[in-house]
Amino acid sequence: MTSAFAQEKTQQDLDVAAIRKQFPILSQKVHDRPLVFLDSAASAQKPDAVIDAMAHTMRSQYANIHRGLYWMSERTTEAYEAVRDQVARFLNAPSREEIIFTRNSTEAINLVAHSFGALLRPGQAVVISEMEHHANLIPWQMLRDRAGIELRVAPITDAGDIDLEALQALLADGAVALVAITHMSNVLGTVTPAKTIADMAHSAGAQVLFDGSQSVVHRKTDVQALGADFYTFTGHKLYGPTGIGVLWARRDLLEAMPPFLGGGDMISTVSFEKSTWANVPHKFEAGTPAIIETIGLGAAISWVEAIGFEAIAAHEAALTTHALARLADVPGLKVVGQPEERGGVISFTMEDVHPHDIATLLDRNGIAVRAGHHCAEPLMRRLGLTATARASFGIYTLPEEIDTLAETLVRIRNFFV
Amino acid sequence: MNNMADSGALYDRLIVDRARTPLYAGRLEQADGQGEGKNPLCGDKTRVELRMADTHIGEVRHQTRGCAICLAAADLMAERVAGQTVLQARDLSQRFSAMLVGEPASALDTNTDKTALGPLQAFAPLRAHRARIRCAELPWVALKEALSHVDV
Repeated sequence: MTSAFAQEKTQQDLDVAAIRKQFPILSQKVHDRPLVFLDSAASAQKPDAVIDAMAHTMRSQYANIHRGLYWMSERTTEAYEAVRDQVARFLNAPSREEIIFTRNSTEAINLVAHSFGALLRPGQAVVISEMEHHANLIPWQMLRDRAGIELRVAPITDAGDIDLEALQALLADGAVALVAITHMSNVLGTVTPAKTIADMAHSAGAQVLFDGSQSVVHRKTDVQALGADFYTFTGHKLYGPTGIGVLWARRDLLEAMPPFLGGGDMISTVSFEKSTWANVPHKFEAGTPAIIETIGLGAAISWVEAIGFEAIAAHEAALTTHALARLADVPGLKVVGQPEERGGVISFTMEDVHPHDIATLLDRNGIAVRAGHHCAEPLMRRLGLTATARASFGIYTLPEEIDTLAETLVRIRNFFV
Repeated sequence: MNNMADSGALYDRLIVDRARTPLYAGRLEQADGQGEGKNPLCGDKTRVELRMADTHIGEVRHQTRGCAICLAAADLMAERVAGQTVLQARDLSQRFSAMLVGEPASALDTNTDKTALGPLQAFAPLRAHRARIRCAELPWVALKEALSHVDV
């Protein structure tokens, strides 16, 4: 541990050792070595609080929700709907009715592309950026091909920031109905200037959607302060379970939008001739939802909030600084992108060693990283790369784990060169 | 260093050496057959060209952009199939794939496999790395296409 890190560590209140004890999986061994998990940006590990909340629900008070006229169902409905209140507070949404539960961020964006997309007409445009995850690209491409709208792509700078001047130019003709941009890149770690982008979009008469899958994990999110119109995130990156994601959208937009999926729970009245829809949010939640996972998400949010975003952000900023310094000492290693503001995600390449070989050899040493195109093929092309290796950090990451990563990378490099 | 070699049984010295210094990289003038293999998941790409000498494969060259496994697989394949008939090369391809999934090729006994595969046995530890099997098979996909252009 560098002294700089030690110093920063005393300035914050995160007891990482105590936090790690709450994640049973972190004591596992991989190939006979302690697990060094540096892939939280793909999916984070789960604390006891989340595991127990889900198990407790299934063990003690589980039933289907919104329809049972019996005690168990009422208790489960209460627990499920309480998470809606919790998520509204988590995002500082003006109203709980603006919180839609989805399967993940991908489904939330597909919902918007389908239902907000149904309001768009040929001649209108959607703007995305060059550094979007496929989840915030493919749904808009599908909408373009279905509805005859235009899809415009805002370029990024060589450093990995959104080129705001170029974005301004794309908005100039007033045809843009929606700007859909990541709040934090899963490849470059770039934290985008969301408020600035929202102001630019609104001045041009467009709405703005932020894919918050990466960023909600690292910092306090306030959809009103950001000036967002749509915001999405997923539970499994926030130390919660898979199968549960969130769409927040302004109520007037949700009310104007047609439903996404049809089925039970989203209706008001049904006949063979005509059916009417339930009020928001239920209009957008067809079928039995992910009840247990939603309760798990609630437990994850409580757990994260109890630690506090100030401490989390300070911990991750210190880890990122430490990692950038350590990786700079690995011969032949190149960190991809130098964004103005970076979250705890670092992609890199190493001269003469392919990212897949890096990942396999790190794995043999118990270190889990991601390698490949990270579901962002157009970004890879823009960067002139086919693949990178990526280390990403979580609440439980130790500076010593980053040291292990850097030391192992040096050995891998020596092995190949 | 030792530690690295021990822990990564997959990265046999032969594989690392051939990835670093391939002996059969390049192109052939007047190839009789050529084929390409691409892995969209990782962007690996290989182009294989071959020239026939009567009924046998005379020379094989490859241009490969990929990981060490893919590069070494292409190079060792080029070396191994030179001098074989088309049928022998196809048979070898089957044995190689069977080895990667951890079975002897059907109706072929293990000893024959070992003799036929020779240095290609270095890839056997891929069994334990299922996600990487495609890396080693990619050049063989390209070879199959190249052979399909050859009249025998």
